[in-house]
Amino acid sequence: MSKIFVTGATGFLGRHVVNQAAAAGHEVVALVRPSSSARVLAPAEQTGNLTIACGDLSSRAGLTEAMTGVDAIVHLAAVKGGDYFSRFAGTVIGTENVLACATEAGVSNLVAISTFSVYDYGERKANTLFDESFPVIQDPTGRDEYAETKLYQDELYQRFADLTGNRMVMIRPGMIYGENELWHPLLGGEFGPINLRVGFKVRPPITYVENTAEAIVLATAVLLDPASAESVDDEVINVVDDDLPTNAEYAKRVSALIDAPSSVPVPLPIMQGVAKVGAFINRRAFEGRAKLPSIALPDQVDARFKPFRYSNEKAKRLLGWTPRYSLDEALARSTAPDERAAPTADSTADSTATATA
Amino acid sequence: MTKPLKAAVIGAGAISLQHLPFLQKSEWAELVGVCDLSPVSAEIAARKFGSSGHFTDVATMLEVAQPDIVHVLTPPQSHGALVSMALSAGAHVICEKPMSPTAEEADKLMAEAAAAGLHLIENHNYRFNDEVVALQRVIAEGRIGAVREVDIRLALGIRDEGSRFADTNVVNSIHGMPAGVLHDFITHLSYLMLDLAGVRHFERVIAAMSNHGGGDLFTFDDLDALLISTNDPESGPETDAVPVHGRMRFSCRTSPDLFSIVVRGEDGQAATDIFHPFLDVMVARPGGEQLTPIVNHLVNGTSLARSGMRNFGRKLLQHTPYHGLERFLDQTYAAIATDRQPPVTADHVLDAARLVDQIVTAGSAGSGANR
Repeated sequence: MSKIFVTGATGFLGRHVVNQAAAAGHEVVALVRPSSSARVLAPAEQTGNLTIACGDLSSRAGLTEAMTGVDAIVHLAAVKGGDYFSRFAGTVIGTENVLACATEAGVSNLVAISTFSVYDYGERKANTLFDESFPVIQDPTGRDEYAETKLYQDELYQRFADLTGNRMVMIRPGMIYGENELWHPLLGGEFGPINLRVGFKVRPPITYVENTAEAIVLATAVLLDPASAESVDDEVINVVDDDLPTNAEYAKRVSALIDAPSSVPVPLPIMQGVAKVGAFINRRAFEGRAKLPSIALPDQVDARFKPFRYSNEKAKRLLGWTPRYSLDEALARSTAPDERAAPTADSTADSTATATA
Repeated sequence: MTKPLKAAVIGAGAISLQHLPFLQKSEWAELVGVCDLSPVSAEIAARKFGSSGHFTDVATMLEVAQPDIVHVLTPPQSHGALVSMALSAGAHVICEKPMSPTAEEADKLMAEAAAAGLHLIENHNYRFNDEVVALQRVIAEGRIGAVREVDIRLALGIRDEGSRFADTNVVNSIHGMPAGVLHDFITHLSYLMLDLAGVRHFERVIAAMSNHGGGDLFTFDDLDALLISTNDPESGPETDAVPVHGRMRFSCRTSPDLFSIVVRGEDGQAATDIFHPFLDVMVARPGGEQLTPIVNHLVNGTSLARSGMRNFGRKLLQHTPYHGLERFLDQTYAAIATDRQPPVTADHVLDAARLVDQIVTAGSAGSGANR
């Protein structure tokens, strides 16, 4: 099997990618920040296929050495919170460092994790087919810092892919959900003290975290297999589950399981109208300088709530992937995680097989 | 309008996001270069803010872009070398604070600038904030009489989770300065203190810098300083020879974050907070001694209510505590473009640097710092 280097390894998605890749027989080098615990990688450690590399993407120190000899980089790390510069530093400069070190280490294969947030939702009509041909934002003005920095990250991915001899497959997951991450901004947003759930029949592009991780591990295997590499090289692949529920159904299911915020349903046209009026007043009265809540920005409302028919046909065709867990199973696993994935008291991946990057 | 000054920026980090919007929109400036060790940082900053060039090498940028003014926005330890390079290339320099770890180094750099006939200006942005300008006006109009005391208190959660200073994965370079993290704020406290006290020097400085939170990451996380100026004629050209007391506090153990300033004069006191803007002036009011407290409450209560409304608008329009920086840059560029004295002079910079030295020296003594 192959040797892969995973960034964001202890994150919400990364831990499943590492554990599944190790279980599938890949030798995994997992990059873990010095202050992070690697206990969530205990299942991978038990396979004997895990090496921990200790490092932080804001610095290139030791990264090249840690990447030397690996067949592919699976780059999951990104910053989802904080101000613009925190996100830029964590996501964009971090990616610049990863790709520069990968080049220095002679690693030519990249599994690049992108996001649905980079798509331009205002461009197409509602309820049309949403697949990989959907347009990407050209100008990030009007979108949030996450979309902007992920867009820059995609640019860096593409530059890496354009280097002679390099191969890349880009995975764009939709709204990833799983344990401790069942509520999501795509369902609605805070507006002062109220939680607004926007739209009644919108089917958000959800994907269960273990299903997403499996798609990424499969993409890695396909990219590293000389017989199939061509089929995914330089391809963008969207990952969403089958049988997507409406946001009302999903919210109801989730609310029965966790202490979800109580929410007030608002029809999408009303939210779009409010956002347009807000944008008009902002333009006319404040020359666009007013900072409104993201739920009241037209581009953001479209990005989060506009309904489309999401396709996962390409992921199935090119990766041989099908979402393993249905919504029912996924919710059950999210609220009572598989014992095998749970850390054990005396099992810490930090204590063994540690290489310092 | 004179020809815009060609501006270049070294360092595309967090603070550059406060400088670059001014350079993008100001009629006084034409952004000709952004330089950063990270190519993507320089490139994207240049793209976002309309720079005609982006670079990863300072010497190349100075040679190719030929800037009239260079903004040095890198970590403080690198300021000296970069300021010297920019001055050698014939550019005026605006440098982020602290310009130097010590007053001695600030003196050397200022001498280089003077020899080259160029301006070297440290960013004293809070002096230009609305609230501080309002205090300066109250003082200048004589409403509180001769200033006798200035209290400045900055509270910031520098040890809180998520703080860039508390990150153990990537240790912030400011920890390497003589006063550690305090060095990131102490310049602000010092230039504000000197400006509002109306003195150039405090003869007596009693200070304690502490590491109350412990651990190896922070050298200090707390400052308590008492400053006394006897207004010795040797120390400056003050006209009113009255002693002035200053109290300077930095704490990371009180919340919410605040930046409060109280100025007390012989005839009254004025107070504000840079993070929670308002202006409170307590002076003798019409109606004599009996009615003065009531009139003060009415006037200041009304003013506070107005501040509440105004601050809502400020929040909406992103009028952040950094707004003084834009005013500082605008006045600085206008002055240089029209060959006038910039609002932050060499004396302002050096007086602040010397006060910082005094506080750090006094505060470090017997502190048992993590060194």
